Amino acid sequence: MELWAQDLVNGILAGGILALVAVGFSLVWGIMNIINLAHGAFVMLGAYVTYELFTALHLDPFLSLPISFIALFVLGYAIQRWLINWVVRAPILTTFLLTFGLSLLIVNIAQIIWTGDRRGVETWYAGANFSLGAVTVPWVKLLTLIAALAITGILQLWLTRSKTGRAIRATSMDIGAAQLAGVRVSQIYAIVFGLGAGLAGVAGTLIALSSSISPTMGDPFLISAFAVCVLGGLGSVQGALIGGLTYGIIQQTVAARLEVTIGTQQISGSGLEDAIAFIVLLLVLIVRPTGILGRATA
Amino acid sequence: MIARALRGLGLGGITGNPVAIAVVLVLMALLLAVPATHNDYLTLVFRQILMYAAMAYGWNLIGGYTGYVSFGNVTFFGLGAYCSGVLSTHGVDNLFADIALAVVVNAAFAVLMGIPVLRLRGPYFGIATLGIGVAVAEIVANFDALGGSSGLAVHQVDEAHFSIYYYAMWLVALVSILGTFVIARSKLGYAFVAIRENEDAAAALGISATRYKITAWALGAMMAGAAGAIFAPANGFIDPSITFATDSNVFPIVMTILGGIGTVAGPFIGALLLAGVNELLQRYFVNAHTLFFGSMIVLVVLLLPRGLVWLFGLRGGVRGWLRSVAAYRA
Repeated sequence: MELWAQDLVNGILAGGILALVAVGFSLVWGIMNIINLAHGAFVMLGAYVTYELFTALHLDPFLSLPISFIALFVLGYAIQRWLINWVVRAPILTTFLLTFGLSLLIVNIAQIIWTGDRRGVETWYAGANFSLGAVTVPWVKLLTLIAALAITGILQLWLTRSKTGRAIRATSMDIGAAQLAGVRVSQIYAIVFGLGAGLAGVAGTLIALSSSISPTMGDPFLISAFAVCVLGGLGSVQGALIGGLTYGIIQQTVAARLEVTIGTQQISGSGLEDAIAFIVLLLVLIVRPTGILGRATA
Repeated sequence: MIARALRGLGLGGITGNPVAIAVVLVLMALLLAVPATHNDYLTLVFRQILMYAAMAYGWNLIGGYTGYVSFGNVTFFGLGAYCSGVLSTHGVDNLFADIALAVVVNAAFAVLMGIPVLRLRGPYFGIATLGIGVAVAEIVANFDALGGSSGLAVHQVDEAHFSIYYYAMWLVALVSILGTFVIARSKLGYAFVAIRENEDAAAALGISATRYKITAWALGAMMAGAAGAIFAPANGFIDPSITFATDSNVFPIVMTILGGIGTVAGPFIGALLLAGVNELLQRYFVNAHTLFFGSMIVLVVLLLPRGLVWLFGLRGGVRGWLRSVAAYRA
């Protein structure tokens, strides 16, 4: 029983960060129909912004959250404005390929600047944790989860209440109608892409708090972001949150206690976290072809 | 009608530009001479190019012609390689048996997986295929009978006969090119394109979309599987990280888009260029080769959004090109 509770807590803690990575990816995909393969690279850059600020200025990672958001927002805005907007109306594969190229570029530049070594951000509170009955909760991960929830909450409020947020949602519903109502689509696209990159940067900062960082650290997050936003349904903030938590909990609880016997061989679930999460994802898709909170049409 | 619409875009009908196809066939004929005239290193480089070409053609059938973007085609390559590996551990050491088994296993696996997965559309299909890829790779890595994560040694022919692997790969690539040509011009090809352009309309016309989608997916799986079946003995060793590599998943997609998606010549041209350039860069600019590679992809996408094959059919010179580039702006 205690083990179940511990796994559940671990799943929720891991799921919060997955949700934060996925929400930016999902917005860009849902609103502009761009599968941004550079999203993982943006997560990595966010982590390095935090690392540099921490080692050079001893700035606490939680205080570097806004800086890493702004830095990545500017980068994302520029990339959309001056590169992706050139081909944004092309079939989805064109932008897919473009962001693949960008991802290679960014990761390689990071490798030249920081080398491939794994580095860490070691805060004084890194190892601290507290107990809740039999369940151990690391402070860093709890604060990370709270930050992730707060950020997705602010984002949702901004999307539904602010003028720009409404323009963004209008653009995703009907480009033509939005343009007629005076929305500058190229501007909105740049803001959305910047927002996606900024959220990835913030996620990178939070990830750097509890794990080591390297230029290729973004790849697994890209793949899980894919899964999370499909699980929750594209382009929705709540969807990414629910998808992320579901994905995290499935990974932690199912993988920890699965034993399969094929022929004479026992296969334990501990090496199969991703496989299990994806099989669950497949089953969800077969029952609900557009995700848990998906709209009726893809 | 579809053919006319495609020609109107300067794409030259359902098979793509005929000049480009002729160029590809001439290049293929020249490639036949590589093992006899070049050293082992270059033969290896060209064998890799042919391997990627076969995989790209496999992806092109489902992703290009049918419009269902798969992110899991590396699974078929890996399964093909493991077919050879399993035969080799059981003492069977015959390249034809390897290829035959790989083709059959892959066709069966593709049909089995295609029945549930091809009900999904667009990105949901893509993510499901990615999931299949990840799941199969992890299961293989945890399965001791297949060598687990430490892999399997696969029996090779002796050095004097080593070029057999090159010729076999060449043949698989050629069959993939000609196969794509024949399929595209047949009723199948038109059904695929109809599904890509508007699946509901195609279904209303009496095209059984699911059946054709599964056919496209399985035919592509056979091509990738055959390439994998040759790769395993040629490499002498397989493990999950080699056979289910992310590069082998992404490269064929990038190659097809670069060359020209949904054309007969495109995947080969993309494979030749991308694998060739990648090899050169890796040799001469080890530290920054990805940098060049990435920049090249970015430039090609911005300047040639319809792929290289489209250059063969370009009308109106520089102005026609500029107009075409500007067509996709926000």
